[in-house]
Amino acid sequence: MFGANLLNWILWLPFVGVIAILCIPKGKENVIRWTALISTLVTMVFCAVLYCKFDRSLGGMQSQFEIIAPWIPSFNINYFLSVDGISALMIILTGMLFVICIGCSWKIEKMVKGYFALFLFLEFTVMGVFMSLDFFLFYVFWEVMLLPMFFLIGIWGGENREYAAVKFFLYTFFGSILMLVGIVGLYYMSAEVPSIGAHTFDILDLSGGKFSDMTVNLFGSEWNFSHVFFWAMFIGFAIKVPVFPFHTWLPHAHVQAPTAVSVILAGVLLKMGTYGFLRIAYPIFPQAANHFADWIAVLGLINVIYGALCAMAQTDLKRLVAYSSVSHMGFVMLGFAAMTTAGMNGAVLQMFNHGTSAAMMFLMVGVVYERSHHRWIVKPDGSLGFGGLYQQMPKYAIVFIISMFASLGLPGLSGFISEALIFIGIYKAYTTITVLALFGLLIGAAYLLWMFKRMFFGEVNEDCKSYSDMNTRELVYMAPLCILVILFGIWPAPLLDFMRASVGNLVTLLGNY
Amino acid sequence: MDYTIWSVGLIFLLPFMAFVVNTVIVKRFTTLAVGISCSAIFGSFLLSLRIFSDFQNKFAADYHIHKVFNWMNLSGGDQTFVVDMGVYIDNMGSIMLLMVTGVAFLIHIFSTFYMRDDARYGRFFVYLSLFTSAMLGLVLSDNLLSFFIFWELMGFCSYSLIGFYYEKNEAGDASIKAFMTTRIGDVFFLLGILAIWSVVGNVTFVDIYRFIGENGFVGKTADLSFFGTVIGIPLATFAGLAIFMGTIGKSAQFPLQVWLPDAMMGPTPCSALIHAATMVAAGVYLSLRMYPLMEAGNLNYFIAIIGGITAFGAATIALIQTDIKAVLAYSTISQLGYMVLGIGVGSYTAAFMHLITHAVFKACLFLSAGSVIHSLHDHHTHEHVQEMPRMGGLRKKMPFTFWAMMFCTLAITGAPFFSGFVSKDRILGDAAVQLVNGWKWYIPAILGYGGAFLTAFYMFRMMFLTFFGEPRDKELYDHMHTEHFSWNQNLPLLVLSVFTFGAWYCGSFTGQSIAKVPGVQNKEWFSTLVTKPDVNNFTHYQKQPWEKVDKKSDLVFEKSHYDASHGLEEKEAHRVHHVHVIGAIVSVFIFLGGLLMAMMMYYWKKWNPGRWTSAFSFWYRALQNKYYMDDLYIKIIIQKGLLNLNNFLAFLDMGIYDRYAVDGMAKVNSWAFKVCRWFDDVIVDTVVVDGTGASVRIFNVVLRTFQSGKIQFYIFMILFVMVGYIWQLNI
Repeated sequence: MFGANLLNWILWLPFVGVIAILCIPKGKENVIRWTALISTLVTMVFCAVLYCKFDRSLGGMQSQFEIIAPWIPSFNINYFLSVDGISALMIILTGMLFVICIGCSWKIEKMVKGYFALFLFLEFTVMGVFMSLDFFLFYVFWEVMLLPMFFLIGIWGGENREYAAVKFFLYTFFGSILMLVGIVGLYYMSAEVPSIGAHTFDILDLSGGKFSDMTVNLFGSEWNFSHVFFWAMFIGFAIKVPVFPFHTWLPHAHVQAPTAVSVILAGVLLKMGTYGFLRIAYPIFPQAANHFADWIAVLGLINVIYGALCAMAQTDLKRLVAYSSVSHMGFVMLGFAAMTTAGMNGAVLQMFNHGTSAAMMFLMVGVVYERSHHRWIVKPDGSLGFGGLYQQMPKYAIVFIISMFASLGLPGLSGFISEALIFIGIYKAYTTITVLALFGLLIGAAYLLWMFKRMFFGEVNEDCKSYSDMNTRELVYMAPLCILVILFGIWPAPLLDFMRASVGNLVTLLGNY
Repeated sequence: MDYTIWSVGLIFLLPFMAFVVNTVIVKRFTTLAVGISCSAIFGSFLLSLRIFSDFQNKFAADYHIHKVFNWMNLSGGDQTFVVDMGVYIDNMGSIMLLMVTGVAFLIHIFSTFYMRDDARYGRFFVYLSLFTSAMLGLVLSDNLLSFFIFWELMGFCSYSLIGFYYEKNEAGDASIKAFMTTRIGDVFFLLGILAIWSVVGNVTFVDIYRFIGENGFVGKTADLSFFGTVIGIPLATFAGLAIFMGTIGKSAQFPLQVWLPDAMMGPTPCSALIHAATMVAAGVYLSLRMYPLMEAGNLNYFIAIIGGITAFGAATIALIQTDIKAVLAYSTISQLGYMVLGIGVGSYTAAFMHLITHAVFKACLFLSAGSVIHSLHDHHTHEHVQEMPRMGGLRKKMPFTFWAMMFCTLAITGAPFFSGFVSKDRILGDAAVQLVNGWKWYIPAILGYGGAFLTAFYMFRMMFLTFFGEPRDKELYDHMHTEHFSWNQNLPLLVLSVFTFGAWYCGSFTGQSIAKVPGVQNKEWFSTLVTKPDVNNFTHYQKQPWEKVDKKSDLVFEKSHYDASHGLEEKEAHRVHHVHVIGAIVSVFIFLGGLLMAMMMYYWKKWNPGRWTSAFSFWYRALQNKYYMDDLYIKIIIQKGLLNLNNFLAFLDMGIYDRYAVDGMAKVNSWAFKVCRWFDDVIVDTVVVDGTGASVRIFNVVLRTFQSGKIQFYIFMILFVMVGYIWQLNI
């Protein structure tokens, strides 16, 4: 029914939602909320259609969904959308998380209209990033995405929101500029490659290792083009992931952002970084990716261990979860470094699984924050911020346990499968790093359980006696995530079948260099 | 019988489905949920019984069922990567299934008595079902990966059950301790899986056996590199050690035994489940399954030493415990040490037999202890009493519990004719057989025999303190009701205590048939069926998919004959037999010695224990502090080491790196901005741009004065210019 235009629908529906919300008068806040919900829900339905119609046997881009139209013909820039297994998975994740986030921002009272309009606009840009196959278009979406994020953090955030918003913006912008350099460099180089022959921004044309033996003149000496530009891209994406030395924006942004924005930030935006590796850095520069695999593995290891150790020291609940994201994204980097079937599939699966489990953790933090208006596990004066929540909020405790164990990678829940696959993939090439990274699993369990113990066990704190248990709305938006986490933990085939052909192509490509 | 997904898979699925259903309905229909849990595990028991009887009919040592289905398929591009899951049952598995389902079923029944008045009665059964199903899944697993999944799932269940009384902070601490300590082992276990995967290509047991049979591990190393220095560890040793670390964690072996005593924070029936049929048994079961790997990796002595230290060390701590559950907890650690010792000395059959016998009598001991605790209700604090100094003389009021506990105590202490004697004595006998292999084998053997003496002492000490003598807390005793036989309190105990007789496990009452002189026929089902996996049998092995129904006629197995000599030469068989006979006699005397000492101290009260504790006060304090291992781990390693490291790193991250390096970059930038702005403001804007403007204005001012619009001025100007012109001409 929507075959040819499906991606257009998924992309532009949120934008239509933005327009619709802007047309609704300011006072009708419930109408605005429902409009936002319906528009994300319909997008979600289209994502489901995408899931059903997707041809799982194809490794490359799916021509049935392809949309291509000239945009700026003089520079050979096209409006070019298509999906393969990896991007379709991310699109589905995005579609799902945005519905849930609308659900959890239902109680936002401050400037409702602006909030929901920006939120839908964010969905529009994120979808655009995951769909576009024209590098210029990709860059436009990538940059425009900063705009709603900046305002969402800067206006609806916590007490220190301006600082966090500016930091987030500048950090990401710095990366984007390096990426822009890369894009321009590729554009000019592409004409010199015989197999491309003309200036182009087409990602598919650019990829395939065509730049392996080209050189570039920088600062008066000859450099290997792919090595230099791989790092330009790498840093651009690494900031988003975030990879170790570029991670410090994340705790600030997460702590200050409102719950729903944290969820999107952890669930989807971080994946844009790793998606960038899979779609751009690796396929375009496979030789450089192989050449620098050791570095990527080491950075991934640092992420895993360092993030986990830092998380253990946190007294702010949300900051703890933010650092755990750093740790979990390190596993994705490890999987990338492995460049084996198991490792790569594990990494992509981990992207999805972290999307659900980190989202759950942030949602859980949001639930308790709505009641307590603070997030201290241990208050600055040394007393416990929460205590005995198990007794006070039993339903919350159960859902929290599921989220927590999904996050620490308990077998039977989804996180374990991806982590195990990553380890299976990486063991042969990097035995020592595997041994060390395994301790990340240990520390990961330690800080989560310790946090849980301090929040939930014991007698109920005086302050906590007024907290109500989770209400129906909260249970409704947590339920799908809980079910998915358990389902994919037992039977991961629906996800793996979806992406394995595409990942296999990438692994084959990387294996040739 | 045919082994399909329904007849085999249901063993695991029934409790699992009960768990799923109960999570939904437990709030509203508690009684129904309890009923579902119990009937599910009973169904599993019946199915296990069916399989067990089938295996008994086949009566062949190498008979096994192996069915696989595809779980994960990652093939894509030119790569193939497939992960199969499946069911693997051999004789050991069939016995294990029967034991787990049987014991778990009785624990379920007992729980309906013990937990009935608890506010979270239903929820307890939810956890119980998940726990049992995880254990059953583990037993059915045909590969290490699914084994690991269920293994961890059990870790989660034990975490939930130990933290069941979440109002208590100590429950939270104990549950974390249990989960984290076992997870240390689990992480190594995962490492072992990865190491095996890297050479075998999957982790199915039969493929690992085959790989060992083809000498695949020979020459393979795990290369650990540290800044350029590469250390190559033989892969079989590396993987075997890593997997054995899993056993150390899960089965509470030294040095990771610290979690198990704290695990009694949970309700007593769950302690019975953890200590007997499930959790800790899984660790030993893993080492038994991977026994060929341990042998290939030359780990026998290491395993034996760990087992010996655990068996002896835990027994010493148990000597001074006053909490009835604590005595049992340390005795569990000690008995697990015997199983591990058995694996180490190559006593495969006896180690597994001890696993089974221990499961039966330890479950019964814990349930009896639960029965005692439940009936001792302190009316002042409204808590149940677990301290033995407040018990005494309970024999008269609790006859059924007393007799059940007495049988089990006789079993665990190794009284002749009881199951513990049969299994433990064989382990010790095999430890003694190893003595000819060098002096170093004396250490595990001596630790083992020494521990047996201590076991006899502390178990009878517990019995005398609890059931004999005069009641020491009169008020408590008087409040207590005399026990009437009830089906859910006493029946499970009595059923379990029936199975503490040695005759169930071996043909002879003395149990001395482990290595008979050739020519003497003695059919003994246990040691006939459960033998070390012969890795050479798996060389031409074919897996069967689920779809293929297993017909009886497909597989022709020769019935096993009991090879009394165990493949040993006649001379060696004679020696083994003699060592075992001597060992058995020594064991009996050791048992009697321990019994006598306990009677002297606590029954006849001839010796005053207090004088012993003051005479050995240094050791007494060390025992009270559990050899300071908790202090070492928690106070020094975690609190002093890890937490400070974390705080330091977090400070480094936000306090130094983010504040100075990242924000410093912004500072540098804003400095650069300021310089630029100054340049822009002062030089470019003020001097150049505004200067240009100002110069215009100056001209403007000057010129404006000329354009005044007054005719007189113009005339004056014309005249002025004319005069000037003329004047200039003149000059």
